[in-house]
Amino acid sequence: MLTAEVAWELLASTGLSLARMVASYIISFVVAVFTGVAMAKNKYVEAVMLPLLDVLQSIPILGFLPAALVVFVRVLGPAVGAELSAVFLLFTSLVWNMIFGVYTSVKSLESSVDDLARVYRLPLLHRYMYIYLPASRNSVIANSIVSWAGGWFFLTSAEVLSIGKTEYSLRGLGSFIIKTYAQGDQTAYVAGLTMLFAVILLSYLLLWNPVAMKYTQTKALVGFTRVYEELEKAVSRIRGLIWERLSSAYSVIRRKKGRLAVAILFPIILDVASLNNIDLSTTSWLSGSWIYIEEFLVNLPLTALRVYGVMAAGLALTIILAYISHMMPRLSKAIVMLGEVLSSIPAMMWWPILLPALGGFPTGIMFFIYMQGSIWYVFFNTIIFGLTRVTRELDELSEIYGVRGRLYITKIFIPSIMPSIVAGSISSSGGAWNASIVAEHIRLGELNIDVGGVGSLLSRYAEMGDMYGVVLTSLLMSVTIVVINKLLWARLVRKIGGTYVIE
Amino acid sequence: MSLSRDIVIEVKEVSKSYATGGREVEVLRNISFAAGREFVAVLGPSGCGKSTLLRIIAGVEKPSRGEVVFHLDGKPSIGFVFQFPTLLPWLTVEENVLLPLMARGMSKKEALGNAYRALKIVGLYEFRDFYPNELSGGMRQRVNLARAIAVNPDILLMDEPFSNLDPLTAENLRSEILDIWLSSLLPIKTIIMVTHNVEEAVLMSDKIVVLSPRPATVVRIIENTLPRPRSRKASEVQELVDKVYEYVS
Repeated sequence: MLTAEVAWELLASTGLSLARMVASYIISFVVAVFTGVAMAKNKYVEAVMLPLLDVLQSIPILGFLPAALVVFVRVLGPAVGAELSAVFLLFTSLVWNMIFGVYTSVKSLESSVDDLARVYRLPLLHRYMYIYLPASRNSVIANSIVSWAGGWFFLTSAEVLSIGKTEYSLRGLGSFIIKTYAQGDQTAYVAGLTMLFAVILLSYLLLWNPVAMKYTQTKALVGFTRVYEELEKAVSRIRGLIWERLSSAYSVIRRKKGRLAVAILFPIILDVASLNNIDLSTTSWLSGSWIYIEEFLVNLPLTALRVYGVMAAGLALTIILAYISHMMPRLSKAIVMLGEVLSSIPAMMWWPILLPALGGFPTGIMFFIYMQGSIWYVFFNTIIFGLTRVTRELDELSEIYGVRGRLYITKIFIPSIMPSIVAGSISSSGGAWNASIVAEHIRLGELNIDVGGVGSLLSRYAEMGDMYGVVLTSLLMSVTIVVINKLLWARLVRKIGGTYVIE
Repeated sequence: MSLSRDIVIEVKEVSKSYATGGREVEVLRNISFAAGREFVAVLGPSGCGKSTLLRIIAGVEKPSRGEVVFHLDGKPSIGFVFQFPTLLPWLTVEENVLLPLMARGMSKKEALGNAYRALKIVGLYEFRDFYPNELSGGMRQRVNLARAIAVNPDILLMDEPFSNLDPLTAENLRSEILDIWLSSLLPIKTIIMVTHNVEEAVLMSDKIVVLSPRPATVVRIIENTLPRPRSRKASEVQELVDKVYEYVS
């Protein structure tokens, strides 16, 4: 039986974790809107931010940990600092795809809309409220669903901040589950896990799915719209007040445009700044770095193979699931709902969950976690939004001309959903790379498994307290990903994009 | 003709060049004309820079040289009918028309009054709660027009407003715009319409400014004093059309 004390602790932890998630989502939303619009509207911002975002989104959450610890904890003290670190780390796993979503939506607006804004002298606030925000609404919703899952996925990594002997464990659902598992408290552990499932399930059923159902044409979602509608009503009741606040906030932002840019560069500035705090006196910088580079290069092929293998498998699986969903629309709701829950389960939890079944086969668990980090970007994009491109007209055409079976799949179905698959693919490869830190290494209670690779390297540096190793290896990894993306992926995308996008 | 002597807008030696791909492309060269309280048609071949000229008059673009002077008390209020309707798909007809009014800080009540009147004039009041994608092409263009006249413009600028409509719809909208203009229902002082359709220019305007191909220069300014209503079959209309065609080609 769960004691009242533990139950109370569980409730408090859940509330705190939820509050952290909401806080980092709101920050991500605001940053995504301002950055995305700025990139779409200003070619200088665009030129600087595009490559920078590529690097930033490829840095795994552990890579931001030293920065968070150094800046927030050392400057603000452990109480406030650890809390801010957690929100900051969650932010780094939520925000990037949201920025890209806003950017591409605003960028694809017709130029005559700009003329409209200029001819009628719409103030910037009105441009945001009536043009930029509504224009990016659908893609923000789509990306929010994935980001929300991404946040939960890294919840434990954000709530248990540990590097070397220093550990800050925040009160929260992620740390609750880890702690109870490590202590062998079965009841509390299962209760925590159940609570986690419930919170994730409810957040989708009551909030995200109703929003997506309301504003997009998707038929693949389940949700209870009543709660959301009440929420929207409440918001519209206080809209006047919000509008007033926005107006005054806007006049402040207008005066301090430059600061906004700094806010976006913040993560990288922090990261580089944290390097200064590391004692490099014993070895010379270059020879010290060389060891890390060598280690990185040795481990790189291992992780790269896993990442791209998992991606290929994920793509194939997504196409199969998409086809099943299209043929059996009723089943699609179940598939997506299952996906929403699975995608949100914190990565580290998969080890204790799967070990009883796959104990002798850690590589299997590793691949599973890899898949968790990667497949969802493509999955949601394709099944929720891509399937709406397989229109009734296309299906009728196929029926009239008897296009069936393999011909239908290769000539009608896959080409129709291709734009969505491509759109999700880059984030998906980034996601797989980032998942390597939790997939390749686990040390939890009695559990201690390591399968090698760049991710395991990063996790081990973090455990040894080697901040320099963490930051350097993160940056090396991120640059490698960007190079691979530019050389291989971008070309593929351009080729596919040119052929398949039918409007 | 005494009214048109009362000058409202002066376009003074306006030139415009763009730099594209390292090269300077001249679009407009020394364009000058004046418009009084009248309907001016700016006529020229496609791609000659007519739209650029209209955007310069609207203040959306800056001329490389020259200036546009308004002889009005205070800042001119400008309505702009875009070539494509340019309606925001997520706003209803009413909200699309309201947007410029709210942007000027008009009270909700006053803005609604203006929007409703404009929608009644273009005959779309009943459709005010519809979204743009629920309307036909002609209706969308009418919303575009309603948005322009709702701001109580001193000057109405129209960028090939009929070029993307089917002939029948275009014909109807033309006569509606003329009705609005001739009935003096609204305080519009001047209309400037850009077009490449000679007949349209002759049928609608009081003055035709003929532009040459790129870089556009003013070839000729023709005062069009034909009595209204004008029928395209009337021989004097045909004569003027033929005459204008000579300047264009």
